[in-house]
Amino acid sequence: MTAAAVVALLLVTVLIGARGVAAMRTTSDFLVASRRTSPMLNAAAVSGEYLSAASFLGVAGLVIKEGTGALWYPVGFTAGYLLMLALVAAPMRRTGALTVPGFAEARLGSRSLRRFCAVVVVVIAVLYLVPQIVAAGQLLTLVSGVDYWVGVVVSGLAVGVTLALGGMRAATYVQAFQFALKLLLFAGPAIFLLLLAGPQLRAEMAAPPEFTHFTRETPVDFRLDTDLVLTAPTLVAIDGVPTELGRGGHEARADQVWTFPAGAPVPELGGDRASLPVPGGEDWALPLLGTGDTTPVLATWSVLVATALGTMGLPHIIVRFHTSPDGRGARRTAAITVAMLGAFYLFTIVYGLLGTVLTPELYLSQGTDTAIVTLPGRITEGGTAATLTALLTAGAFAAFLATSLGLLLALSGALAHDLMPSGLRRLRLTALAASAAVVPAALLMVRVDISAAVTSAFTVAASTFCPLLVLGLWWRGLTARGAYAGMVTGLASSAGAMALGAALALPGTAGMLLAQPALWSVPLAFLVMIVVSLGDHVPPWAEDTMLRLHLADRD
Amino acid sequence: MNRPRRVAVSAPPGSGPRARPLPARPTPDTLLEPGRAAQARAVRRAQLRRAGWTLACGAVLLLGVPVLFWLAPGLTLTRALGLPVGWMVVAFAPYPLLALLAWWHLRAAERLERPDGPGGTENGTDHR
Repeated sequence: MTAAAVVALLLVTVLIGARGVAAMRTTSDFLVASRRTSPMLNAAAVSGEYLSAASFLGVAGLVIKEGTGALWYPVGFTAGYLLMLALVAAPMRRTGALTVPGFAEARLGSRSLRRFCAVVVVVIAVLYLVPQIVAAGQLLTLVSGVDYWVGVVVSGLAVGVTLALGGMRAATYVQAFQFALKLLLFAGPAIFLLLLAGPQLRAEMAAPPEFTHFTRETPVDFRLDTDLVLTAPTLVAIDGVPTELGRGGHEARADQVWTFPAGAPVPELGGDRASLPVPGGEDWALPLLGTGDTTPVLATWSVLVATALGTMGLPHIIVRFHTSPDGRGARRTAAITVAMLGAFYLFTIVYGLLGTVLTPELYLSQGTDTAIVTLPGRITEGGTAATLTALLTAGAFAAFLATSLGLLLALSGALAHDLMPSGLRRLRLTALAASAAVVPAALLMVRVDISAAVTSAFTVAASTFCPLLVLGLWWRGLTARGAYAGMVTGLASSAGAMALGAALALPGTAGMLLAQPALWSVPLAFLVMIVVSLGDHVPPWAEDTMLRLHLADRD
Repeated sequence: MNRPRRVAVSAPPGSGPRARPLPARPTPDTLLEPGRAAQARAVRRAQLRRAGWTLACGAVLLLGVPVLFWLAPGLTLTRALGLPVGWMVVAFAPYPLLALLAWWHLRAAERLERPDGPGGTENGTDHR
């Protein structure tokens, strides 16, 4: 049943993609759907493209793992479109440039800057694309029992072929369809599960019991090597072999299944996960991030800044606004998107709370990304559970596909359009080649944490393209040299800090500021961009180029 | 929702780096005439001020609430309708507020672009 749902979804995606082939003639057609998309359709496409695995599965999983503070992630994701609306959509559309690198060249008149922007596009797209494909593989492994590599290859192929056949014109319809589908498949099961849950489970959702003892015999399928600290001697079946473990530290290996008996105390997490709040505990219930050992307000702000500012810098989203016919259409698109995303994210908390009550053991195994699809089986059984799981899997798969399509388009656009001479045939081949290159990367990175990788893409985008766009669109004084210096600073500080944070795994606020650097790397990039520009010579045509972006559209 | 007729639009001849060696800087005959430039300056300033208000409201909303939670953690765990107030403030409240803010900004931004907006309209273009 689940396999059938996914196959049907793939077929529909490819068919809608193929529908776009007939009318496609030029590179511009391929990239921006000939710029004739109404705000409503375009907003649905933006939302469809934007709602990725991180939104469909990741946030609910994060609620189990990091506490109710994780509910700030979708708030930031949505607020990103308020910034897009207020600062970017209309003037960016009026530049007439097809991509962010194209904007950099048109506004600042530097071809080397364009190439550097294309490199940044590739960095962001890869950071975002690989975890999508990884998640698709993991999801298929979980629900249908196929090997991980099958899921990865199938999803990579579907995305690459759809894009090569239809390009973005197809993608506009695909994405709009995907948004309707995702909203339906997210909200529908949420409401249905709430109805099925019964009064006792609903009461537990409102106050999840602290996860201190296993309430039933619980298999924990460890996704990663995990340090555990047992608080009492426990008889654990490790891969079916009964083992008496003493108090203190033990290491569970990746892919081991530890089965804890009912009533056994829950071990504490050790190592760099020691700071995660216990599901249902006091730290978990306080709706702030980093309640374990950091400064919660700063940790929450950092995620908000990264997600809200990073949205405008995501190359696959910005290009979408060029499918509106004019600046006004682009602005309306952004405004409608805020409402559409809000409607979707309202249901996140249902899955987060259900997951915390029913599958708290995922907090130990780090398998929280797949919590949503396991929930129906915990609430009901038989055909109803199988149907709900199939629907949720199809929705999650739609999320992977939609986002991956947009990312692959931005990636192949940057490679074929900005880094190489343009041409339709080449762009199609690049789409196929890029998806073929991402699949092996996804096969290698099976252990990556999808939410962390996705947030890092937002952080890099916020530290590079956000200052470029805001200053480029509103300040005549920005120069190519300033933009270059600011983006290099932003890229190096954000990517460098995150790499350092992952390597050192420091505890406390310092570690948080390294792992989640947006709070300081974005202002730093802005500052460098402004200071270097002030010391530079502004070309006489700069003001004119900037000003005409703010004149009302006319035919 | 009526969609405009689809028109095939091709990329400007050679938008690739090799095909167009010179950057797209305006030549003198495409420069804005002084009247339009003054109008553009006025519109830009008004839009920027409007964006500033919208984003200030958004920032107070989003960055202020975590501070409130941190100062009064007990308050967030007080229950209303069975759920802790803090959860509802994060999970439900931001979305309608953001949508309202977006709608408010959209209307204001479009009003600023009307002919009777800032900078007036010396050339009387009707853009509706």
